Amino acid sequence: MKYIVLTKNLFFTLGLAMFSGLSAAAETTVDWLHIEAVPANVALMEAAAAEYETTHPGIVINMQFLENEAYKAKLTTLLQSDAAPDIFYSWGGGVLTSQQEAGVLRSIDGAVSEELKRKIGGAGVNAFTRDGMLYGLAEKVSQVGFWGNKKLLSQAGLVPADMATWEGFLSSVEKIKAAGITPIALGGQDKWPVHFYWSHLVVRLAGNEAFNAARLGEGDGFSSAPFVKAGEMFLDLVNLDPFQEGFLATDYGSAAGYFGDGKAALHLMGNWDYSSSKSNSESGKGIADDNLVFINFPVVAGGAGRPSDTLGGINGWIFHRNAPDEAVAFMNWYESPEVQSRFAEKAVYIPIVAGGSSRLENPFFKTISENISSSQWHAIFFDQELGADVGGVVNDISLELSSGALSAQEAAELVKEAVEDSM
Amino acid sequence: MNVLKTIGRSKFSSRSVVLTLFLPPTLLLFFWFVVSPMIDAGRFSFYDWNGYGQMTDFVGLDNYADVLTHRHFSTAIRNSIIVIVISLIVQLPLALWVALALTEKSWTISAIRVLFFLPFMLAEVASGLIWRFVYDGNYGLVPAVGDMFGADLPFVLGDRLWVMPAIMLVVVWKYFGFHMMIYIAALQSISKEVIEAARLDGIGKWKIIWHIKIPLIRSAIMISVFFSVIGSLQLFDLIFPLTGGGPSHSSHTVVSFLYQFGITRQKLGFGGAVSVMLFMACVVITLLYQRALKAQESHE
Repeated sequence: MKYIVLTKNLFFTLGLAMFSGLSAAAETTVDWLHIEAVPANVALMEAAAAEYETTHPGIVINMQFLENEAYKAKLTTLLQSDAAPDIFYSWGGGVLTSQQEAGVLRSIDGAVSEELKRKIGGAGVNAFTRDGMLYGLAEKVSQVGFWGNKKLLSQAGLVPADMATWEGFLSSVEKIKAAGITPIALGGQDKWPVHFYWSHLVVRLAGNEAFNAARLGEGDGFSSAPFVKAGEMFLDLVNLDPFQEGFLATDYGSAAGYFGDGKAALHLMGNWDYSSSKSNSESGKGIADDNLVFINFPVVAGGAGRPSDTLGGINGWIFHRNAPDEAVAFMNWYESPEVQSRFAEKAVYIPIVAGGSSRLENPFFKTISENISSSQWHAIFFDQELGADVGGVVNDISLELSSGALSAQEAAELVKEAVEDSM
Repeated sequence: MNVLKTIGRSKFSSRSVVLTLFLPPTLLLFFWFVVSPMIDAGRFSFYDWNGYGQMTDFVGLDNYADVLTHRHFSTAIRNSIIVIVISLIVQLPLALWVALALTEKSWTISAIRVLFFLPFMLAEVASGLIWRFVYDGNYGLVPAVGDMFGADLPFVLGDRLWVMPAIMLVVVWKYFGFHMMIYIAALQSISKEVIEAARLDGIGKWKIIWHIKIPLIRSAIMISVFFSVIGSLQLFDLIFPLTGGGPSHSSHTVVSFLYQFGITRQKLGFGGAVSVMLFMACVVITLLYQRALKAQESHE
């Protein structure tokens, strides 16, 4: 009797194991690698993934996180390993081109509905198109500008309009210093926050045509007059000693927290700083919205760039060459206006998809969204647009200009040399 | 005679069995994780390669020329030499001095030894992060101490002048306990009779240290010097969490230079050239060490 019971149990266990084995085999796991560090934003992503799993039995969305700098450093190796994620974050630009040329990406041509493409719009589709094939889904747009602390600015007798021009901006910095306030927070250790200064001055001084010519190495390339001038104007700012003490040893998160704690009047950063300056502040609340202002980068008189030109990003998700169809299907759903509007409502980012951004309630994000819409050249972050090698040099020269270790001419020559090396 | 032969044969066969069982896996692992990456790095160094796909753009020795003419390479070399020199003239004498004071066996001395050894047991990245907080100019311990004495101390990690001394303090703090342990183990192996006999002959404490103890632990000192030099050349994982090579690339060592300008810039060929140069430097130092070791053995 005991033997029979044991045998029955054995068969039951084996059957259960086989059944679970079968169900496991039917399951598809989609590895989704992201760099989102703000807990509230991650919670929204997790909720979306969980919802998709519920409505699509057999699909498991496995979210993985890497910190921004670690992500950039590890991605090349990761994409060529067995542990490559199916879906991963992309800033587009030259880095995307390298990945596409190397054949590590899956084209999603034909796997995205025309309706979704239309809603994402031409700029978003183009940002992730290489050789006529679509490789990714644009998710959000961002703009770099000065976040300002209105209370500190008014203590220095300033209003945002005083910083509309570069000259006005420089004199504002002097006034803020004279009022005993640190003018600008800067995370120099990460380098990329510093490159916004040189890059945005290039956007203002050189304009789209000269930039495109320089990246192709035409004429004097990056050593031509507007690029040298950008360095000189940045040095004009640096000579005012505008950044917090120790900015070279401060990373982005700490600088965002420094601004969020009300210790500096300005912070040149993308719109994501709205969340990051709050989450990195001591109180976790940062500066109250009514005390916060977003100021467009100052206009430079006589520059070839249009005042409406913006610097920022069109970021999205791309797919590893081995990504299953389920991964693309998940992203088609995730990028729908219905899902994206949740991120707009909570001011996580500005969705690119039409209908997603229409539910933006945050006044800053509304303004930024309008800025980008009216921009004729939305320049992508130079450190991404120019690829890891040239972009890295742009970060380097910006940092060295900020510490006075390089002249404007030397900085421009170094970028030019990097472009020549990369050709 | 036959019995001896049998014993010899059985010893030989058991040795063969041990070699057959244990040597192949070790050799395989050594080849896979040590030799193969070295060969790969050597291959990379002759190509212009961004890490994706196949290497096709053969550039000969261009990467080596690029490394030697890179404007931050000399800084990295200078910093690596600073680390070696400070390790040899500050860290090792300090470790020896502490070891001489802590050779006796008692629980209090053991507790102090553990205290000094603790930093070595901490992961390098964790140590780097801890010291980054210590040095932080806004919230760290250094400005707090400065405030106590009414001094406005600089943001050491953001200052090109102070950053290397700050890093060297962490390096000495982190590794001197390891060298101290090597010296203590060697000092404890010195026969007590030798020291006692010297004392009975009226030889002073310092002369005993200088003429008896130090010569008797010369082998330990040599291995400690060897570890110190090789470790200094490979210093990386303290640098990155502390400074990331900054400010303005002023605190790069050779390995952090390799990582920054080779790996993160996706210039694997450039990185390969730096790693080959570093490997050659390590080989030269190892050969010099072996030569010194042989000279010492023949002297003894």
